[in-house]
This record gives sequence, C-alpha cells and structure tokens, in this order.
Amino acid sequence: MIATRLLKKELQDLGRDPPAQCSAGPVGDDLFHWQATIMGPPESPFQGGVFFLTIHFPTDYPFKPPKVAFTTRIYHPNINSNGSICLDILRSQWSPALTISKVLLSICSLLTDPNPEDPLVPEIARVYKTDREKYNELAREWTRKYAM
Amino acid sequence: MPAPMPVGGLTMASFALTAAVIGNAYYQKRQFYPSVVYITKSNPSMAAIYLLAFTLVILLGKFLKKVFFGSLRAAEFEHLVERSFYAVTETCLAFTVFRDDFSPKFVALFTVLLFLKAFHWLADYRVDFMERSPVITLLFHIRVISLLLLLSLLDLILVSHAYHSTITRGPSVQLVFGFEYAILLTVALNIAVKYICHTVDLQSENPWENKAMYLLYTELCMGFFKVVLYAVFMVIMIRIHTFPLFIIRPMYLTMRSFKRALNDVILSRRAIRNMNTLYPDATPEELTAVDNVCIICREEMITGAKKLPCGHIFHASCLRSWFQRQQTCPTCRMDILRQPQPSPASQGQAPPQAAAPAQPQTPPPQVPQQVQPQAQQQIPNPFAGLFRGMPIPMGPPVDLAPFPFAPVPVQQAQQQGPTTSSSTSTTSGATITSSSSTTTTSAAATGGSTNQPGSAIPAASFNMMPPFFPLFPFNIPPPPPPPLNFSAMTEEEVRQLEGNERQHVEARIQVLRNIQTLLDAAVVQMNQYASIVSSLDKSTRINTASQQCPNQTAAASETMVPPQQPTKSTDQTEDTSLLVTPLLFSPEANDSSFSSSEEPSTSKPEVASSSPSNLDSGQAESASWLGATTVADTSPPDPSDPEDPEEIRRRRLEHFSQNS
Repeated sequence: MIATRLLKKELQDLGRDPPAQCSAGPVGDDLFHWQATIMGPPESPFQGGVFFLTIHFPTDYPFKPPKVAFTTRIYHPNINSNGSICLDILRSQWSPALTISKVLLSICSLLTDPNPEDPLVPEIARVYKTDREKYNELAREWTRKYAM
Repeated sequence: MPAPMPVGGLTMASFALTAAVIGNAYYQKRQFYPSVVYITKSNPSMAAIYLLAFTLVILLGKFLKKVFFGSLRAAEFEHLVERSFYAVTETCLAFTVFRDDFSPKFVALFTVLLFLKAFHWLADYRVDFMERSPVITLLFHIRVISLLLLLSLLDLILVSHAYHSTITRGPSVQLVFGFEYAILLTVALNIAVKYICHTVDLQSENPWENKAMYLLYTELCMGFFKVVLYAVFMVIMIRIHTFPLFIIRPMYLTMRSFKRALNDVILSRRAIRNMNTLYPDATPEELTAVDNVCIICREEMITGAKKLPCGHIFHASCLRSWFQRQQTCPTCRMDILRQPQPSPASQGQAPPQAAAPAQPQTPPPQVPQQVQPQAQQQIPNPFAGLFRGMPIPMGPPVDLAPFPFAPVPVQQAQQQGPTTSSSTSTTSGATITSSSSTTTTSAAATGGSTNQPGSAIPAASFNMMPPFFPLFPFNIPPPPPPPLNFSAMTEEEVRQLEGNERQHVEARIQVLRNIQTLLDAAVVQMNQYASIVSSLDKSTRINTASQQCPNQTAAASETMVPPQQPTKSTDQTEDTSLLVTPLLFSPEANDSSFSSSEEPSTSKPEVASSSPSNLDSGQAESASWLGATTVADTSPPDPSDPEDPEEIRRRRLEHFSQNS
C-alpha cells in the first residue's frame, strides 16, 4: 500500500528535518491518524500560543488531501469554531507532491497572513479588514485563553 | 442504534416504569387477562410499554453492533449521528404522505429501516477502514462477510415483502420501504465489491494499480442503478400519491455523485490514454538529470517512468492513480487534458487558428525582404535552380496552407509539396537542437540586451518552424494566468507565485518557446501571403493580363492593406514586375498598414522604436496579444498604471532573467 509506505517515509523525514514551529506524529498505532502542533508564528497575534491539530489521512493518500483540523480554538477568519480550515491546498488545489510538513507550513503562513477575501468566519474577516487593532487584540486574547 | 443519551439510565428507568405499570395493573385486576386488557386500554401504560420496547431495540442494536463491529471509532460515531439525523427527518417527511397508515407497526418498520441503514453505513466505514488499517484480523473478515451476507439477505427479504404487499394490497407505505431497501441493497453490493477489492489488494504484495479504476466503475454502476431507482420511485409516487418531497435531497446527492463519477471516468480515461500513447517514457539520462525520485510516492524511479508535456517525470503507475482523480501535473498543476495533442483533428485546425494572430501582428520588418525573394523564385520557377544549395526556410506544406492555391497551376503546387517537406525534414534535425539555445538567447534578450538586427536568430527560428508547427497549434493553453488583481494578494503570495524553483523556470522557458513558435507561425503565414499574392499576380499576368488583374490583386491585397491606402497598394502591384512585388511587404508598408489596421495609432511609434530588435518586439506583441503569462516587453512601461498586469509581468521577467 502506497499510503502506508509514504506515511512512514514522511514520519521519518519529519523526524530528520522538522519544519520550523511545527511538529506532527501519529496518535497511537494508527498511522492514518496524526496529531500536530503549531507554535503561533512570531509577528502574529498568535505568538506564544501552541495550537493542536488533528490530521486524518484518507486511505488513498497522497491522491486525496489529508483532513486537517484545529483542536485548539483560534480567532482567525479562515478557521471556524469546529477547527475546520479554509485552505485551498486542503481541498481543490491538493497535489500529491505536497507533504504534511508543507501543509503545516502553509497553515503557519495562513496564521500570519489570513485571507479575508475567502473567509470561513465572515465576522472575523470583517473585523480583520476594518479594524486591525481590534482583530489583533481579540486574537491575542483568544490565544492567551485557549492556547497557553 | 446507539443513542447519544446515557443508555444505562434510560434502560433502568424504562424497566422500572414498565415494572411499575405491570405491577399496578396486576395489583388492581389480580388476574392475567384483565390486567392485559387494562394495560392496553390505558394510554400512560402503553407509553411505558413502548418506552421499554424502544429501550430493548436500542439494547439489541448495541448488542449487534458489538457483535459485528466491536467498538465504534469517534469519526464513525459522528458520521452515524449525522446521517441518522437526515434519515429521521426524511422519514418524518415521508410520514406526511402516508399519514393514514400511521400506526405502531409503521413505527416499528421505520425503526427497523433505520437500524438497517445504520448498519449499512457502519459496514461501509469499516470496509473503507480496511485500507488504512495495517493489520486485518480474521475476526474482521468474518464479521464483515457475515454482516454483508446478513444485510443483503434482509434487504432482499424486505424488498420482496414490500413488493408482494404492494401487489396484493395496493400501494401503501410499503412502497417507500421497498424502495428504501432496494437502495440499501445497492449500497450493500457496493460495499461487497469494495470489500473484495480491498481483500484482493491486501493479499497481494504489490500495490494493485487498477483498484481505483474498478472502484470508480463500481461507483458508476451503482450510481446509475440508484439514479434509475430514484427516477422510477419518483414516477410511481407522482402517479399514485403526490410529489415525494422526502427523496429530493438523497436523489439530488445521488445524481450529483453519479455525474461526478461519470465525469471522473471520462476524464481519467482520457488522461490515462494520453499518458499511455502520447507521453514519452523517461530515458535514463533524463532520470539521472533530475532527482530520480517520483514525487508522488517518494520512491526511486528506475523503469516505468513517464514524462509529461511540462517536463515533469513520475512513475506511470503513480500518474495513473492520480489521473483517476485529477488530470493535472502534480508538480506544476498544468492541465494535461488541455494540452495540444498531435492528432489529425488538431492538425487540421491548427493553420486557421495560427493565421488569426498572424494577421493583426506586425511582422519583423526585415524578415520579409530576406525571405521573400526565395519564395518568389520558388513558385514561378519550380524546375530550375530551386534551392541553390541553401535551405529553404519557408515552405508552405500543402496541407497546412489555409489559402486557396487556385491561381497557382496544379503542377506547381504538386511540385512544391515534396520539395518543401524534404527541406523541412533536412533542416528539422538541426533546428531542434538549436531551439533550446535560441530560446535561451531570446529569454536573455528579453532582460534588456538589444538583439543584433540581423539574420542569424530569425533565420534559425524560421527554420525551426515547420516541424514544430503541428505540435503547437494556437490553442495551447497558457499556463494558469496570474490573477489580474495583485493588490488582493499578500506580498508573500505574489512572491510564491513568482517562484524561483526549477519547475517555474522551466515553465517560463516553455512559455517563451511557445511564443516563439507562434511568432514563427505568423511569419510563415506572412510568407504565404506574399507568395500567393505574387503568384496571383503572375498567373493573371500570364493569362493575358486582362483588365481583371488590378481588381484581383487589389482584392488579394486588401486583406492586408487597410482601406485608407488602397490606391497606393494597387498601384504598386499593378505596376511592379515580379521582383518588385515584395515591396508590398517593405517595412514601412507593413508598419503603417498593420498597426493602423489593428491597433489605434498610439502603438505605431512603439513598433517603430523597437524595430532594431525584431524578435523581441514581435515576441512582446504576440505575447501581449495572447495574454501569456511571461512576456518580453522591451518597451517602457506605462507609468500611468503601475498595477497593470503587463508591468508586473515585465518585473517578473526581469527578475527571472537576473536569476537565470
């Protein structure tokens, strides 16, 4: 099975060359269910927070994207209260050339640069667009409350 | 069905309540039959009994679940609850249609249906889970097989029961149940096929490449059956009762998934056929040139690697699996189905399409003069001194020419065909090898270095033209165009778009190459125009130069010459001899006529200023005309519009040339 072999390989690569501010690994024996952490990127209001994510790999990985969701609550226009992430590479723009570490790095950069034009939570996107100070303040507050 | 509520408490409560009810009845009546009558007459008592029945059903469900599935995983449970919710609401809608039939029996039947549905879903999840679980125990197989057999059997029995009941007693709510069980039967079959596929896959050591294809076809067939079933049910319901609102949602979902499956099958078949027939196997040299790891499976590629038109190399088996889902290059996302194919159909289409950009575009001014005499000699004198030892750069192969050759004698045309094709074949070898160097030079030239106004590069590129022509018809999709509004993107996204990696550079070179090919096509078209006009001129001259001559030439030349200069051009063609005719394509005439005919007068100075670097200006024009992503723009950018896409392209190109 290509998925099992590939996931083992990705796990090795993650151990050998871990991406900055991210970590990931399987939960228990299930190679298809991982947990990941992302440190809030510096120069973002999430700085200092540690965010947990779950990753469920489909059986036909890498031909279908993994299902990635935040388990830690986060104040972000593209991440809703269920932790679902609105990121194109996790949906239509998925490519088998992507790896889980690239996906995590993309999520990191999404934290730094939200995309308010395609929001999952329109209210947060509105705040982000109209009142950046308030957005930063709220995001910091949520980070303190849930991710520290 | 496992309920989300605390089952233990409910069970205890319902048992206690029932015991109280029965105890109360027995205490009051003292005898068995009167107690039973008392209980059945009393609504609160019956409610307690029903509650107990409900509890027992839940317990039974939990027991069966334990037997067949063990403990459920969180995701499975979540899905189950979600789907049960829809099932319950839809059945409640169905109740409204059959409210006359409403009875405890009906509720019981509905509960059974919901149970069976839940078990089908769970079986589906379990079989899907097979693929990701590393160890499949014997218990798992026994459970799944027995469950599938049981479910299919129950479905069959219930369908036939519903059928007979409908036949003997007329249409009733049994119609709905029969239909639901028929749908469930297809689901069970689908699961069984999946299970067999997964089992076969697990048994064999090597990955089974065609499994996804089989699964796709199974889905397609089952989707078709389901759509037919829904349609039949819909028709029956409308004829007997009323419009069945409750099947709208599942019917829509089924049709959508069927359409998607059909689409997937068609597209993936096409992509895989393309891969097998059109794309070359990667040679060992190519494999060693790049990092020979297939980016899909991260395994080394030794044999069985295929090269896509964009130059990226993957395992053929990995590509097949990917194309069953999407038809793009995994690395650069190029849509491989929109890539031109050297099929006869596209060959036939190519010339008119290539002619379209050739007409409005200003040809490099010096080139026609250089090429024209050769064409001139070639057509009138096909028998003597045809080549003079030099390669004929132009030569309209007969099947490529979109223009009527009627005025040219047939003999000449026939003579022309083989000679030109032979000349192209002799030159093609050299041109292919030189193509990369020319493209790189042109790419470098775009950075700002002025091209020498000469013959070397244009000549080489014209030679290159004919063999490449059928390969690149005009409808080459430009690589995904950048979004027009860059202001909406963050700095980082723009930078990401720009990309410095190898594939981006390769993609840019590919685009430049395409532009060059288009340009060459345009030049060949111009040459064909020239030769036709001249031969027209000559043939009419030979045919006793009647009064028709000027009219005809005027008509021919009017396709290229704007109306404001008709007198000039017709005079020219009328008066000049054979050798002077190419003056029609002298730089001034071209510049004025084409720029004025196609574009407003503002573009004229720009064309004139860029005339020293023929290729560059031509490329820039054709590319901007095409809206290609990468553009060689030597003209100064318009300062009034800094966010103009052209400006951004120019900057990207400069960036690119610096890097390269």
